[in-house]
Amino acid sequence: MPAHLTRIKTRLSIHAHRKVRGLLEGEYAALHVGRGIDFNDLREYVRGDDVKDIDWKASARGRQLLVKRYVAERKHTVLLCVSTGRSMAAMNDAAVGKRELAVFVSGLMGLLAVRHGDLVSLVRGDAAEQHAERPRGGELHLERLLGGIHDAIRPDGSAADLTALLRYVARTVHRRTILVIVCDDTSVPDEAADLLRRLTVQHEVLLLTIGDLDPTLPAVAERRLVDVDTAAEVPGWLRHDRQLRRELAALVGAEEASLRRRLDQLGVVHERVHDTDSAVAAVFRLLERQRHARRR
Amino acid sequence: MELTWNGGETGFRWPWLVPVLVLLVVGLMVWWTRSRGRRTAAGASYVAHAARLRALPRYRALVRRQVVLGTCLTVAALVACAGAIVLGGRVQERQTHAQEDRTRDIMLCLDSSGSMAEVDAEVVREFRTIVGGLRGERVGLTIWSGVAITVFPLTDDYDYVLEQLGEAEDAFGAGGVYSEAYSVYTAGTVIDWDIQSQLGDGLASCVQRFDRRDEDRSRAIVLASDNEPIGQGVYDLPAAAELAREANVVVHAIAPPTTGDRPSAARLFSDAATSTGGTFSMLGDDGSAAGVIKAIGDLDTSEIERPPVVQVLDRPRLGTVLAGIGVGGLGVVWLAQGLLAVRDRREEEAS
Repeated sequence: MPAHLTRIKTRLSIHAHRKVRGLLEGEYAALHVGRGIDFNDLREYVRGDDVKDIDWKASARGRQLLVKRYVAERKHTVLLCVSTGRSMAAMNDAAVGKRELAVFVSGLMGLLAVRHGDLVSLVRGDAAEQHAERPRGGELHLERLLGGIHDAIRPDGSAADLTALLRYVARTVHRRTILVIVCDDTSVPDEAADLLRRLTVQHEVLLLTIGDLDPTLPAVAERRLVDVDTAAEVPGWLRHDRQLRRELAALVGAEEASLRRRLDQLGVVHERVHDTDSAVAAVFRLLERQRHARRR
Repeated sequence: MELTWNGGETGFRWPWLVPVLVLLVVGLMVWWTRSRGRRTAAGASYVAHAARLRALPRYRALVRRQVVLGTCLTVAALVACAGAIVLGGRVQERQTHAQEDRTRDIMLCLDSSGSMAEVDAEVVREFRTIVGGLRGERVGLTIWSGVAITVFPLTDDYDYVLEQLGEAEDAFGAGGVYSEAYSVYTAGTVIDWDIQSQLGDGLASCVQRFDRRDEDRSRAIVLASDNEPIGQGVYDLPAAAELAREANVVVHAIAPPTTGDRPSAARLFSDAATSTGGTFSMLGDDGSAAGVIKAIGDLDTSEIERPPVVQVLDRPRLGTVLAGIGVGGLGVVWLAQGLLAVRDRREEEAS
């Protein structure tokens, strides 16, 4: 049954990601500001662990770096906030859809939380409706959330609306959470910026944006492409044009830069997920940047 | 035989095919546009945020170009289709040939002996006036005295006939026997001065000038003579008339008024002419040669009535031209597309 999680775990166990896996857990653990005092056990040091947590004596005995693990004072909540507008049903690159990528990065964050014994919650929605799930632990719950995300993203659904989603979060979520926003917006409107500013006060906000398929990509030149918003075909004859490809690349680059600048101004840690191969690295970078951002 | 084209009616051989093909083309176009419109759902990949692609200036330029090329291509294809439909319907012209079988041969048979010069000139002059109205008849001219000479054989080349008759008129009307033109023209008709103006031999010779004996044609001789032979010929007049009768040749005789002075000769001549079904007229007493001409006109009665021939001709030019324009247009548009693509690549490599 846990199809989505299995896939994510499989991907993490691929050789290239094996090292990262441990690192990710360390980075995730470092997200938590408040730590319990009750010592739980020791575990091997992974990069990203706070140096303050290293048990030097134990390390000397065991000939390897060990860090102390504490029983969390209280369980944290990771709130996955996923935009499920129809634009998320489009392709991310030639092989993978944005939906798969959204499920993947959500699942990755959720898995880290679950492994850490934290709770995972979900808010998903588009322009028409928003929907929230209770925070709960366990992989089964996470799998259910991922299934919910997967099923909510449909090409015939409503348009994506980040502002509405953020407004919903601001209105309904009262506890402090690690807010992981997964969306595909290319710009942040003023109202959404205000909401983000407001949410960063309450939550640890991590923002992951998912890139779009470049229709002029040679890899999809033979494929029929349909604009998910207008249901009109993107004509094949113009997708071969290199000048168009250049102009589009320039535009996308400019949009991405301005989005990054905007989010930096807002103090929101942000990463762009371009494809599945770089998704794990992107999540890792995100966590690392969040740690540094907080320390500043 | 003269063919006259009476009113070419132009129309389609298979008129029902034209609307059928037009409907087929329209149906295909409707189906094509429908299927293109409906094609969006299955088998396609979705792409989001395509609006920013559409906002690019290069996109608009490409779309504009494609619209222009597409319009030209469509128009060219439709023209080619129209041409093909017209060709398919098979444009044909229906022509009715009224067959006018004027199978008349007229031999002018002129006595070139000195006494006849003026009469001959008169006959030739009269005859020239009717040549213009001839259609399909063949005319020949033979002059004779002791021996017959063919000036020109039976022909329907009327320009030539008129030219020759003009020469004959000039020669005969040049001023009598002693003029040079006359003697040059009639040279060879007398080889023995003891044998001249042999009417029997002249008529027989003229009868023998008719060719295409196996064809059913009306044959007439306009015989001008004063029946004043000198010496003994091969044929006498009744024998020559008999020959003409056997060959179904009608002899119209024209005699100068001086013949009336010799009643026996005139009667002999008249009998010979009428025995072949022809006429005998004395020049000057009843409108002269004009009467003969009228008699020739009456020979029309022996025309053979034939049903009009209907000929149906394919007229593929309109369809071919339309299809050619269409296909040529398609070629031009494709060429333009190719050139634009090459230009784009050049610019790409240059930059």
